[in-house]
Amino acid sequence: MTGGWRALLRLFAVQGTWNYERMLGVGMGYAAEPLLEDLKSVDPVRHSEAVVRSTDFFNCNPNLAGLALGATVRAEYEAVPGEQIERLRRALCSPLGALGDELFWAGLVPVLVGAALVAAVCGAGWWAIAGLLLGYNALRLGTAIWALRTGFDAGMGVGAAIGGSWVPRAIERIGPVAGFVIGVAVPVVAGWYLRGFGWAGAVGALAVAAVGAAVTRWYGTALTTVRFALLAIALLLFFRWVGL
Amino acid sequence: MSELPLHAAALLVFWGALVGLDLVSVPQAMLSRPLVAGTITGWLVGDLEAGLRVGVLLELFALDVLPIGAVRYPDYGPATVAAAALAAGAPWELGLGLSVTLGLLLAVLGGWTLQLVRRSNARAIQQHAAALAAGESRAIRRLQYGALLRDASRGAGLTLLGLALAWGVARYVHLDRRTAVGLTLVVIGAGISAAAGGAVRSAGRGARLRWMLAGVAVGILLVVLR
Repeated sequence: MTGGWRALLRLFAVQGTWNYERMLGVGMGYAAEPLLEDLKSVDPVRHSEAVVRSTDFFNCNPNLAGLALGATVRAEYEAVPGEQIERLRRALCSPLGALGDELFWAGLVPVLVGAALVAAVCGAGWWAIAGLLLGYNALRLGTAIWALRTGFDAGMGVGAAIGGSWVPRAIERIGPVAGFVIGVAVPVVAGWYLRGFGWAGAVGALAVAAVGAAVTRWYGTALTTVRFALLAIALLLFFRWVGL
Repeated sequence: MSELPLHAAALLVFWGALVGLDLVSVPQAMLSRPLVAGTITGWLVGDLEAGLRVGVLLELFALDVLPIGAVRYPDYGPATVAAAALAAGAPWELGLGLSVTLGLLLAVLGGWTLQLVRRSNARAIQQHAAALAAGESRAIRRLQYGALLRDASRGAGLTLLGLALAWGVARYVHLDRRTAVGLTLVVIGAGISAAAGGAVRSAGRGARLRWMLAGVAVGILLVVLR
């Protein structure tokens, strides 16, 4: 099979055609195209069917999409019946979504962004930004390569391969680290901003923070943090306008 | 806001398009994080400190976002570019409130435009349904590149609008010192509440919560010691 590196590069644009009908579907088809090229000369009919299947509905975390891509392409080359491949794709959506979201959005991103925030406000400047970009992208590239290879090696047995991999263990460990790093970052960043305003200013800002945390928790999705911020800004401007 | 020559504004629009693309479409390399987008914008407009201040504060809001599944969320990338451009050249204690207010409004608008692009992608796919059903690879590529172009245009358009609004705000909105400082304190407070609220929600009630509380204690200690 050829086209592995091209498929890997295309995986970084797997959400390019994200929409509410097929979600990642067309993006997966775009990434699958180089991998399916060899099938064209061997079995053109099967190739055509495989291309159609590759663009069907699919959704998961983009960083683990390579697992599904590799597994389904392998299954296409092994002439696994089309219905089984479609079932595999559907079955992979939820676990790859949940694992990837836990690993990246709720784990790795808060860890690296929190660390970069602390470093930036402590004077690291460009090093903080470079560390965030290099650290995240190195880990992401490594994960993408691993995912595509593992998916292709495992084929229809990709579920067991994921279960026995490092991913579930990493998720267990990264959650507490993310909590700790963000826990450190929030007071450090708050101190960085409020140092110049004296006690009255700091108490005022922290009062806004406390009210915001309470009401956004109380009202849930009806009052998001951005809506609260805009409401607080509008109230301040109104009070200043009436002379308070 | 510092005076922006035409080539600098064009550079910011290009940067805004990249940042807009990075959020979802390609390459999701963290360029769209406000911390990165703001700092680089600050450097581009010649005021790194302003870019960093705006970027860090909008990052606190962005930490509250979990981009899971089909959830709708604000797009802080191009918003940060425009906000950092507005903040440049002014003392941050006075300019941060107004800049971040503009950034938050643009972020909400950006989230809405993201829905427009997604619906537009769906329409394009429907138009090419027959070609997709026939397994035409060329149709897949055309859809992919068309969607990327739409998203890049969205980022560029948002940044251009943001810069125009920033120019208008800098020219016509003049807050007295007390209001400007009050606005800065309100947005800082709201940012802290966003990051803290997001962290508590993510922490749940298990080990992560305990580690988060330990982190808060360490963070407070660091603030006191500095």
